[in-house]
Amino acid sequence: MNMKKVAGLTFAAVLTMSSLAGCGGNNNNAADNAATAAPAAASNASASSEPSQEPVTLKWALWDWEATAYYKPLIEAYQKAHPNVTIEFVDLGSTDYMTMLSTQLSGGADLDVLTIKDIPGYSNLVKQNHLEPLKGYMGDNSIDPALYGGTVEQIEVDGEVYALPFRSDFWVVYYNKDLFDKAGVEYPSNDMTIAQYDELARKLTSGSGAEKVYGAHYHTWRSAVQLFGILDGKNTVVDGNYDFLKPTYEQILKEQEDGIVMDYATLKTSSTHYSGVFYNNSVAMMNMGSWFIATQIEKVKSGESQATNWGIVKYPHPEGVEAGTTLGTITSLAVNQKSEHKEAALEFMKFVTGEEGAGVIASTGTIPAIKNDAVISSIASIEGFPADENSKAALTTVKTYLEMPMHEKSADIELILNEAHDNIMTKNVTIDEGIKDMNTRVGQLLGN
Amino acid sequence: MTGTHKGFRIATKVLIYLLLAVAVFCMLVPYLWMLSSSLKLNKDVFSFPMQWIPANPRWENFQDIWTRIPLGRFIYNTAKLSVIVTLLQLLTSSFAAYAFSKLQFKGKNILFLGYIATIAIPWQAYMVPQFIMMRQLGLNNTHMAIILLQAFSAFGVFLMRQFYQGVPDELCEAARIDGLSEYGIWARIMLPLSKPALSTLTIFTFVSTWNDFLGPMIYLTRTELKTIQIGLRMFISQYSAEYGLIMAASVVSIIPVVIVFLALQKYFVQGVASSGIKG
Amino acid sequence: MQNETALRPKQTPKRLLSKGVRDHLVAYSFIAPNFIGFAIFTLVPMFFAFVLAFVKWDGANPMEFIGFDNFARLIKDTTFHKALWNTIVYTVGVVPFTMAVALALAILLNQQIIARNFMRTVFFFPYVASLVAVAAVWNFIFSPTMGPVNNILHLITGVPIEELPRWAADKQWAMFTVILFTVWKNMGYYMVIYLAGLQGINPELYEAAELDGANAWRRFRNVTVPQLAPTTFFVLMILIINSFKVYDIFINLFAGADNQLNDSTRVMVYQIYNTAFRSLDYGYASAMAIVLFLLVLGITIVQFRGEKKYGQ
Repeated sequence: MNMKKVAGLTFAAVLTMSSLAGCGGNNNNAADNAATAAPAAASNASASSEPSQEPVTLKWALWDWEATAYYKPLIEAYQKAHPNVTIEFVDLGSTDYMTMLSTQLSGGADLDVLTIKDIPGYSNLVKQNHLEPLKGYMGDNSIDPALYGGTVEQIEVDGEVYALPFRSDFWVVYYNKDLFDKAGVEYPSNDMTIAQYDELARKLTSGSGAEKVYGAHYHTWRSAVQLFGILDGKNTVVDGNYDFLKPTYEQILKEQEDGIVMDYATLKTSSTHYSGVFYNNSVAMMNMGSWFIATQIEKVKSGESQATNWGIVKYPHPEGVEAGTTLGTITSLAVNQKSEHKEAALEFMKFVTGEEGAGVIASTGTIPAIKNDAVISSIASIEGFPADENSKAALTTVKTYLEMPMHEKSADIELILNEAHDNIMTKNVTIDEGIKDMNTRVGQLLGN
Repeated sequence: MTGTHKGFRIATKVLIYLLLAVAVFCMLVPYLWMLSSSLKLNKDVFSFPMQWIPANPRWENFQDIWTRIPLGRFIYNTAKLSVIVTLLQLLTSSFAAYAFSKLQFKGKNILFLGYIATIAIPWQAYMVPQFIMMRQLGLNNTHMAIILLQAFSAFGVFLMRQFYQGVPDELCEAARIDGLSEYGIWARIMLPLSKPALSTLTIFTFVSTWNDFLGPMIYLTRTELKTIQIGLRMFISQYSAEYGLIMAASVVSIIPVVIVFLALQKYFVQGVASSGIKG
Repeated sequence: MQNETALRPKQTPKRLLSKGVRDHLVAYSFIAPNFIGFAIFTLVPMFFAFVLAFVKWDGANPMEFIGFDNFARLIKDTTFHKALWNTIVYTVGVVPFTMAVALALAILLNQQIIARNFMRTVFFFPYVASLVAVAAVWNFIFSPTMGPVNNILHLITGVPIEELPRWAADKQWAMFTVILFTVWKNMGYYMVIYLAGLQGINPELYEAAELDGANAWRRFRNVTVPQLAPTTFFVLMILIINSFKVYDIFINLFAGADNQLNDSTRVMVYQIYNTAFRSLDYGYASAMAIVLFLLVLGITIVQFRGEKKYGQ
């Protein structure tokens, strides 16, 4: 074959391509300019008067439309108050949601309101300049970041905020009262240290085979195990040094060896879902996010969950740390910078992330980002929520650390941490090797 | 033939059938599991020890899948896409393959090499540029996007070309002498001769379009356009996965593919010779 | 298919073009329908991806030309090396194994045997089934402590369950497990190709060989193998390419809730995907894709030459 010909062909093709790409880019920019110019004019016109009454259709990017209880009521409530606005949802699926969203936006999709699923994805969208900065809007509409219990500050990027949380889940301990009664052990309290949690788990483990009861259960997520280490507030997972994780891993691997908790490798390979083992009365306690409250209530009603007598208590904390310190994860709304209906999109975002939205979300059993007394009472009064006082009290938190803090490289850091975690938990490496691996690889990443 | 020889033959036959039976069993185990799981509650799907015959079969699972998601719509969409893509693929691939196999022209080898090598580039690598381009063509959220992306593959050309290679050149020569044009040779000689290959390509294209996930996921964001594989994953949500329903929907989604496969089986028995051509 | 004759074109005006040119035009007209579609919807974006390898791009902001920097980075990137190595090990494991099993099955199921169509369907089943479902089953069956495989092994060998391989969860056994799974899942696919290939062999060749007193092995060696050469070339290339491009199987078999692979299971496309979509480094991901492309191109050229030599 003639190499010259190949090279020539390739070169010609590349040239054509790059010029094509150039055109594409230009077209894009022209469209963008037009798009940004129009709403700007519109907003100037309407800023002084009442919100415009012209019919607007907003496209809202989200996931799990079918499985999520609060989308429909939120949209209905908003459309009732704003008859001129129609909200259409675009379900991008939960598995690769942030990737799908970023691809859609890179392609110039006409999405207006964007749901932000996780911090690494948020950080990426900010870097890609897809998100509308919100500080100015918050100032104009007197939205107080303090309402969100410190989470807004945690997602600031260079003094600017690009999303507002509407849902804020935090971790608690779910426990099976029947199994406690059977073992003759007193129910856990709302003030429990990690060491006490371990002790309690050991007391509750019993039986073997199909009758085996595990004292505790850690799902295969990294956050379910590793993040006990950050509750003292002395370290974060984006600093580049992970030596502080050693005691946490030692304790959990010990529990695994002693058969207090199920084996990580088995759980992972058999795709065992945490809900299944809890429903089947095989675990006495389980640390999990507050999103499971609504599911558990519903499944008890439908009969699928046999753990009918249950409760929640506050997350275990390290010695010397106040009870109510826990991990959290937020789901936020942002507005596409290139949206043609920015004004309307911001309005909608304000509604969902504000107190009204919080009320709607709480009525479906989900914890909204604005967590005032009314919201807590509303959740605790849902039929099927455990009746004891401790469970209601467990809904209040004093300090919430985000599972993944905001960092420019959080997506890459998360990858490394997850891998090392998997290696340690499957015992493919020792704890020391795993920690060393995290230290070197994250170190390299941050040094770059 | 001596008696011992015959005995030996029978023994091998029995052995082969025995091995086949074991192999068939190994192949079927996952399906039995799938079927049994499709009748279970989600929490029981992965519980140990395994329960092959569910104590309380949940036939509702097979009802729920139609109401929880618009499965009927999804099946219709997927079938529509699969049929159109397969037809286009068969036509264009066998057409191009004829040139690559039986005609002489400049740049044949390099073009062919290029075709094969591009199969190697993972879609993930050019998915974003492709998406940007398709959006500018206004094809986002249309079934046309999926059809255009799937219908002209290098794979089909490669497959058909390899089978045409097996058809003796003398056959084409004889036809040319008889005054048939190249198009006539393709239509009257190559197509009838390549029924097994066409069936293979039909099966493969149909299955891959039927099971395609990432393509529809990116290009079809409106519910009424979505396909069955997206539907299957709707049962996996952020904090839970309904495996009972996934398995039930999987069972349903396999049926059309198996029908296509069985229907095309009859083309896998006629050899070249039996259709009346001698090499 | 008979009515395709309708496609026969009208007679081209004679003598307007020389025979050579006309022949070329005819040949190109055969290729055009497929090639034009392929060029617009696949080649164009591919070339764009090719250009990306020389820039720094996050998918949204303006690109920055950086020459060969991305490739220079690849040379030092140990994670990428690991992924490349794993992909090669996987390919070397999967290709011969699958070919042998698929060919054996095709020959067996091409005989007059009982329930032939049923068996063909059964062997093709795993390929058809949704990966999500079969990977879940597979993992369940191979689960380290509670899965039936290890329990049966324990009964047969008497080795305590804790000391048996932990299959997908085990660094040493992960690759073996995924190779086994791949062969199981895909052998029916290649069996179908071989079956179609076998239909193209003239039965008279076998009859002639039998008359010459050739035994089964010699008939296989002297008739089946050479007659199947184009099919084998196809199977080999597609197998190699698909093994190099493997992604879904690894994700479904190994990645848990967080969709991640580790050092012993990391493969090329996973690395490309993560680099592009999680790290937003499209240029670097493109450079990796080009390495993959060049690897396959090299193998293709070698094979192509081999086929030509072998075919004649």
